[in-house]
Amino acid sequence: MRTFILRRLIYAIPTLVGISIITFVIVRLAPGDPIRLFTFGSRATSEDIEALRHLYGLDKPLPLQYVDWLMNILRLDFGQSFIYHQPAAALFLDYVWNTLQLALVALALQLLIGVPLGVIAALKRGTWIDSVIRVLSVAGHAVPTFWLGLVLIIFFAVQLRWLPTGGITTVGKDQWDILDRLRHMLLPAIVLSLTGIALYSRILRTETLDVLGQDYVRTAHAKGLRERTVMFVHALRNALIPVVTALGGILAGLVGGALVVETVFSWPGLGRFTFAAAIAKDYPVIQAGVMISSLLLVISYIIRDIVYAVVDPRISVR
Amino acid sequence: MSHPRTGRALIAALAASTLVATACAGGTPSASSGPGASASASAAASEKPQQGGRIIEGTISDIATMQPVLVNDTASGRITGLLYDTLIQQDPKSGEVKPRMASYTTSQDGLTYTFTINDKANWSDGKPITGQDWLTAVTAVAKSAKTVRKSNFQDVQGFNDFKDGKATTISGISIDSSNPKKFSVKMTKVSCPAILDLAGAVGSPLPTQVFGKYLTATSKPEDFDNAPENTNPQVVSGPFLFKEWRKSDQVILGKNDKYWQGAPNVDEYVYKVVANQTAITNGLKTGELTFGSIQAKDLADMQTVDSVKITKYQNLGYTFIGWNTLSPTAVGLADKRVRQALAYGIDMDAVIKAVVFGEATKQVAHHVPVQWAYPSTPLEQYKYDKAKAEQLLKDAGWVKGSDGILAKDGKKFNLTISTNSGNTERETLAQVAADQYKQLGINAVAKPEAFQGLVTKLTTGDQTLEATIIGWSLGGDPDPYQIWHSSQIPNPAKNVTGFGFTGFKDAAMDKAIEDGRNPANGDCSTAARKKSYETFNKILNENQPYNFGYANNVLAVSQKSLQSFAPGSFSTTYNVYEWWIKK
Repeated sequence: MRTFILRRLIYAIPTLVGISIITFVIVRLAPGDPIRLFTFGSRATSEDIEALRHLYGLDKPLPLQYVDWLMNILRLDFGQSFIYHQPAAALFLDYVWNTLQLALVALALQLLIGVPLGVIAALKRGTWIDSVIRVLSVAGHAVPTFWLGLVLIIFFAVQLRWLPTGGITTVGKDQWDILDRLRHMLLPAIVLSLTGIALYSRILRTETLDVLGQDYVRTAHAKGLRERTVMFVHALRNALIPVVTALGGILAGLVGGALVVETVFSWPGLGRFTFAAAIAKDYPVIQAGVMISSLLLVISYIIRDIVYAVVDPRISVR
Repeated sequence: MSHPRTGRALIAALAASTLVATACAGGTPSASSGPGASASASAAASEKPQQGGRIIEGTISDIATMQPVLVNDTASGRITGLLYDTLIQQDPKSGEVKPRMASYTTSQDGLTYTFTINDKANWSDGKPITGQDWLTAVTAVAKSAKTVRKSNFQDVQGFNDFKDGKATTISGISIDSSNPKKFSVKMTKVSCPAILDLAGAVGSPLPTQVFGKYLTATSKPEDFDNAPENTNPQVVSGPFLFKEWRKSDQVILGKNDKYWQGAPNVDEYVYKVVANQTAITNGLKTGELTFGSIQAKDLADMQTVDSVKITKYQNLGYTFIGWNTLSPTAVGLADKRVRQALAYGIDMDAVIKAVVFGEATKQVAHHVPVQWAYPSTPLEQYKYDKAKAEQLLKDAGWVKGSDGILAKDGKKFNLTISTNSGNTERETLAQVAADQYKQLGINAVAKPEAFQGLVTKLTTGDQTLEATIIGWSLGGDPDPYQIWHSSQIPNPAKNVTGFGFTGFKDAAMDKAIEDGRNPANGDCSTAARKKSYETFNKILNENQPYNFGYANNVLAVSQKSLQSFAPGSFSTTYNVYEWWIKK
């Protein structure tokens, strides 16, 4: 197991290096010059602009800038934000918790709602319940998240005033107020979990049906075991295997897809912050954001593979 | 400076838009202003203000810093202005410079300013605010590597030498030995906009007891630039204290009981980050936000809401179409007659009605009506006249070909009108302009593009830009040097950047600008400078290097419960310590 993890981590290094090069190049190829952008409208003179360019090392040739940056990354120095004048990595810590909160709650909703829906659809196959769930599943995939988010805000927040219109805390409430936080998290978490719920319900339905048709299930029935035992002890565990596969990708999707939800609901998370940095061409923050997300992604895939091996004894990690 | 809203993910783009904000001309961030007698501010001046309550302002982007020296966006400017008071301020309606924390006199030759800080002006830790504190701010600007405000002090004697490490003190600044609150500043030349540069927001005194240690002779620039007190200011001079910054969510300020003009009536001022302008408009309707501005398209709807009050005042800025008179591809733009035709050939009144619902004033020259420099002599109004436009084009040698498109010397009149994508107002203006110019026989197309690219092209003098729609936000002083002086024309060949992207220059205009900025006789009075600006505006009006577009109205909305709120073109929060919430 340990060698497996080590091997996977080592294999991840070329991937991460490749990602870093691509990000580095793309961010600099995009039109616009960050120094001119954040000095536009100020009284900065040409000399001021060139001095800033030199300060941030942007006057060096590109490969040299990349090497400098890489060397710093290895020392865990992600550079200073052009806009905030604070270390990029430290800024992320402020935001990563917010995104993780949302992502984890969304993930929980996906599992708690998506999985049972899929199983129910399989068990009640052919009935109207099955049809309804399948239609909802397709709708869940097709509905654009930003549209749904806006509609929910208009309905629940503006019209009914049951929930806040956005943000993470209410003015005047302490930021550790759990109830307040949950109220703010409800709509964005629901919207964020939608695609996953749709996906899981379909996967589970297919898998459950497949499993229920297997010989060992028939054997279990023949042995006289109760329906519930057959379902939960024998069938479901096997049906869950593809869920684990989907899980790895889902985590990435949550952190990335959270951008849209975060924007619509003003949730101060990583996605929104990195996007704002992209618009402002805040190179250190953009690069740090992409590298950290990539690293999280790699780690989540490794975790997924380990869980996969644990869940399915037929799979070995060797 | 209108806020650019970029393309698809417009909302998140807005989040950063005020960071990249605006195209300021002579961009002094507006000093907080206000008349000494604030009784004019409220109708309910006779009522005794109730204590308590909270002011909540919505913002689309979060602040970046709370250090006046490093401020470079509107949001940071707002919060920093509530924490640190300025030496002088501007009347919110007229822009007239008046004392705030300090009064000042000018020497006969116009070269020396002597400031006397109010006896009552104190820091929140009880220490008095002194001339040394102002010097600390100037030292910080000189030593900081990240500030964009060094040019504010370039005319102060000895500043450049100090900044470049050639001197250990700034020779032009001296603090009175018998009165630490009195100090004088000697300039190298008479500079009329200087007073706002020196004593406005960038020159807010900084607590020497906090920042002095980062600005010693051996300190490095990053000592000051990375100081923790830049994001956690504990000693302030303004009406509010810093309490908490929940990143990208809210900034919470508490009232400063020791504020020298008297403690504010409200307990807290909260700056809440919201998704976009729609969220601000909704927040004003529901009462979640205490005050804010709305777009013209929402005015009719907001007028039906009983709980709010709407105050209109003119934006200190304008939206325009800039013509690249040096364009190698749109050669027609070099001819003054063509540019005049482009002014007569667009029905700007109809555009104003369509794009901003009539909430704007047409512009035919640089200064806007609310500025004292606004021309008094009547100027050509360029009323929509298609026939006249066609005649002018003909006079300039442009004849319609068989395809209906104007041509001259074998070249067709092509015109691409660029603007920043995501800003509906500007995109609409671009489209309407293109449509109207097509009727004159010009092959005009609208071309939105990302703001980031546009900004670089504009300031570097990229010759692929033919016509650009953008906006200027004007500073407190009417000096138009940065936009209109010939030295500000970008030259890619010589690596010179600037805001004069039209490439238009005129010797008489340069002289008028110079006279208004650095008068030889040292006379910085409004009357003297106004003469120069009359000449200046007349030349622009005649030559039309821009179609000067329009200056829109700001539609400020506030809850009826908010008293003493009286915003103007030059300042909104100048009297925030007098605002109170009526329960």
